[in-house]
Amino acid sequence: MKILSDELSLQEKLNILADAAKYDVACTSSGVDRRGQKGSLGNSCAAGICHSFASDGRCISLLKILQSNACVYDCKYCLNRSSNDRVRATFKPEEVCQLVIEFYRRNYIEGLFLSSGVCKNPSYTMELMYRTIYLLRYQYHFNGYIHVKAIPNAPEELLEQMGYLVDRMSINLELPTAEGLKKLAPHKTQTAILKPMGQIQHRIADYRLSIGKDSRMERSGGNRYLSGNIFDSSPKYIKENHQYPQVSTFHSPSSEKPAPFVPAGQSTQMIIGATEENDYQLLTTSQQLYQQYDLKRVFYSAYIPLNEDLDLPSMDTAPPLLREHRLYQADWLLRYYGFHAEELLSIDRPNFNVLLDPKCDWALRHLEQFPVEINRADYATLLKVPGIGTKSAMRIVKSRRTGVLTFDSLKKIGVVLKRAKYFITCQGRMMYHIRINEDFITRQLIGEDYQKSWEIDHPDSYRQLSLFDDQMFQIQPNTTDVQQTVSGQL
Amino acid sequence: MTIFTCFNQFEDMMTCIYDAWDSKLGHKNIRLLTEPVGNLELFCDYLHVDADKKKTASVINSIQNKISFEAYQMVFRCAMSQVPDKLDVIYRFLLFGFTYGSKVVNMLQIPAVSAIFEVNRSVLNEAHQFQEFLRFTLMQDNVLVSHIEPRSDILTFLAPQFEDRMPSENWMIIDDNRKTAVVHPTNSEFYLTSLSNEEFDRLKLLEDHSDPYIDLWKGFFETIGIKERKNYKCQRNHIPLWCRKHVTEF
Repeated sequence: MKILSDELSLQEKLNILADAAKYDVACTSSGVDRRGQKGSLGNSCAAGICHSFASDGRCISLLKILQSNACVYDCKYCLNRSSNDRVRATFKPEEVCQLVIEFYRRNYIEGLFLSSGVCKNPSYTMELMYRTIYLLRYQYHFNGYIHVKAIPNAPEELLEQMGYLVDRMSINLELPTAEGLKKLAPHKTQTAILKPMGQIQHRIADYRLSIGKDSRMERSGGNRYLSGNIFDSSPKYIKENHQYPQVSTFHSPSSEKPAPFVPAGQSTQMIIGATEENDYQLLTTSQQLYQQYDLKRVFYSAYIPLNEDLDLPSMDTAPPLLREHRLYQADWLLRYYGFHAEELLSIDRPNFNVLLDPKCDWALRHLEQFPVEINRADYATLLKVPGIGTKSAMRIVKSRRTGVLTFDSLKKIGVVLKRAKYFITCQGRMMYHIRINEDFITRQLIGEDYQKSWEIDHPDSYRQLSLFDDQMFQIQPNTTDVQQTVSGQL
Repeated sequence: MTIFTCFNQFEDMMTCIYDAWDSKLGHKNIRLLTEPVGNLELFCDYLHVDADKKKTASVINSIQNKISFEAYQMVFRCAMSQVPDKLDVIYRFLLFGFTYGSKVVNMLQIPAVSAIFEVNRSVLNEAHQFQEFLRFTLMQDNVLVSHIEPRSDILTFLAPQFEDRMPSENWMIIDDNRKTAVVHPTNSEFYLTSLSNEEFDRLKLLEDHSDPYIDLWKGFFETIGIKERKNYKCQRNHIPLWCRKHVTEF
């Protein structure tokens, strides 16, 4: 192993440590609104701002780097595992600060995403990261977004102090099951990952209660109109459990405003396709994480083979991009559309349909609930219609208060009727004369979506333009056709 | 048909609306256009309207009082767009606005309302895009300069956002298409100014590329993409080619 960190230039270090960080997902800068301040640099926008898009089409909103790519662990899927021979580098805290400040001023980034390999031991690494963030906040007066990966097994106090400096914290779940973790990441255990997650959750809840909010994180505005969503049916954080932060009684309450703790919430990420889990297991795991740990997001990353190992899929495995896409779609259905994991998948049907998105798939299995009348259905019902998203549903609810909606006005509002037209009526009429028949609608929808799905799984291939639509499912010729061909009539 | 025309300035447009309304020719018999007018039509009278402070104030006041502030924001955003018949879109919207009051902004089933809604959305989207994709270069004397070429006139939307983001920096954003600029001296308020030709030419030269952080950023941008997942189509969807003119990394 080469250790060159003192001789490397800033450019080289940046390239090495960005390269090592690129497999981390979660480059978002969302979840917290914070105004700028005179004398410091930066603000924060809850909707999130992307500043660029990399060649893989993923957004770049934060400076995503590792503090160090030296690692004592030997996780089999990881590029930085200790048994890999790689150039190792470590950023000095000042170097990171300088990069963040200068990039931020030029409007290249929205903040910092700092992760790290485990250098020496978890506490040493976490301390180094803490020094970086502390310097950035208090000496460089950076007021923008910071997302830090917590290192499992780091001391609790350090984790807590870090929580007061950053906007979002995350701990990687890596693999959804304990067995998978044992097999591929022998140095990590699920308890070591879930314990700090719980700790952060409790601190967030304490902070939120002490400023008079609900203990659970806010979701989108639309979620308020949804009853029975996954967050409703999860155990509530009990108020008695809550210990108010120690505030001196000699100060007026306003001067002792409690410092926000991880205001943008925590997130986690899982690797898809390295082990044998099915989609049902993955999705129920996410649902449990949302319910029990009140995570803001769960990210999924399609497994990319980087190391050769007997326990891993072979090196020529293509990353399961479509599967990742379907999981993200389902994840949104959980968080914003009031679906439950058990509605979308089951033990008998453990994987997502390759050809249809999860909502269409669900709708086709529940045709008895359709068609839905646009002018009367409530918000929750509208959300279940394929092709209608949270924005369109809100617009429908608002605009029908003052008049009747027709298909034409739906188009104007921005509802995409491509999928929705099979499932809705306006004033009791469907757009075309469509049979509510599962096979018929399935055929129509698959025909429209097949090419898109194919492109997700094969992002880099091109297809020759063809007169014949060979991506569509064609009807098999029947016996008369065959006879006619043989006799030359066709 | 009578066609009222005016310069492409907010004040002129408001005056034009006032005069068109005041003409009492019947809403069906008039149209409003911003100059330059392309092809002239037969059987139409063209009436040029010049800006008038009083009329402008009166129109703005009645939109805010009789409809709502939100409606006024929509009108203003629409006026900043590059859509050729935007003035007519505003006028038709106001007809319904003055009838229905503040609830008109949600009545998307009316074509005139959904038309202004659509223009609004495109202007807002563009403002958001440039908030994301505009790039500053650091000049001598610690001034950050950015050149942009947007389709709509979005400087008024960008300036407050960047003032909040960088209150203690000297920066300016220059709209190359309209030769206007927004200037923000450190720790004070920004102001909008139009540039004379020689000022503009001098500023044009300022877009140099000797900043050392440009290379660092380009290096980061290259490395952060995963080659196994590369997907240029997706990239172009998110950051269209026309947006990339002054973006450092492309």
